[in-house]
Amino acid sequence: MFTLVIGGAASGKSEYAEGLILASPHRPRYYIATMEPFGPEGQARIARHRALRRGKGFETVERYTDLAALALPRRGAVLLECLGNLTANELYSPAGAGTLEGAVSAVAGGVEALLPQCADLVVVGNEVCSGGRNYAGDTDSYLRALAEVSRLLAQRADRVCEVVCGIPTWHKGAGV
Amino acid sequence: MIFITGPLYSGKTEYACSLLGCTPEGLEGRAVRDAQELARDCADLEALADELAQSEVVIAAEVGGGVVPVDPRERAGREAAGRLACLLAQRAERVIRVFCGLPQVLK
Repeated sequence: MFTLVIGGAASGKSEYAEGLILASPHRPRYYIATMEPFGPEGQARIARHRALRRGKGFETVERYTDLAALALPRRGAVLLECLGNLTANELYSPAGAGTLEGAVSAVAGGVEALLPQCADLVVVGNEVCSGGRNYAGDTDSYLRALAEVSRLLAQRADRVCEVVCGIPTWHKGAGV
Repeated sequence: MIFITGPLYSGKTEYACSLLGCTPEGLEGRAVRDAQELARDCADLEALADELAQSEVVIAAEVGGGVVPVDPRERAGREAAGRLACLLAQRAERVIRVFCGLPQVLK
């Protein structure tokens, strides 16, 4: 089962996504971390997420770019967090694809390559496109790339939900 | 009138095309796109909504999320866009929000 979980900042999407993995009967549980640890704020965010996962039996795999080349040791329940980071890494990191088209295909293709390696896959995405069009250049490319990745994966996913205040609202699957 | 809303780049135009069975170019004359832009500098939003309601389809991006813009003109434009969307939703027979390419019927 492939579930796409999308939400705004601090919407409770991570916790909800994690709950879906904890409810999965499959083992091992992998957490694919995508955030490059830049600066104290980044490190604090990573520490907070690590503390939330502690004792839940996740093996953490760090992967910032080129998701398609990732080989998981075993087939289990996988939490990939998040599309916003992966897309930014592919666009802006020296190791990334560097172009909008390249970033879209690296992230969407990466998830495609991950799918057969997972008994259950939960991908966390980010709602960032409802704050207006008033962004120039780089930010607009980022919004476009992330929106396209999200649309491609929403088409591919068995279920899509948007988390609002920690509550899932379903756009696909789960009885929609 | 069918009102289609949703975040930027969420697939609203593509959905309108599938609804009307046409290409994006074919929307010309049948659908009004980026209605949120028309709200900016509009003196009478009710009249604008009445006029737009004559179209088959009206599409507007949701722009009211995120932080309130610092620029007063942007702030006013965003405010007007939100108000117009409410007025359009009242006048519409159907309201659909497209999220990640997936349509959800709101009304």
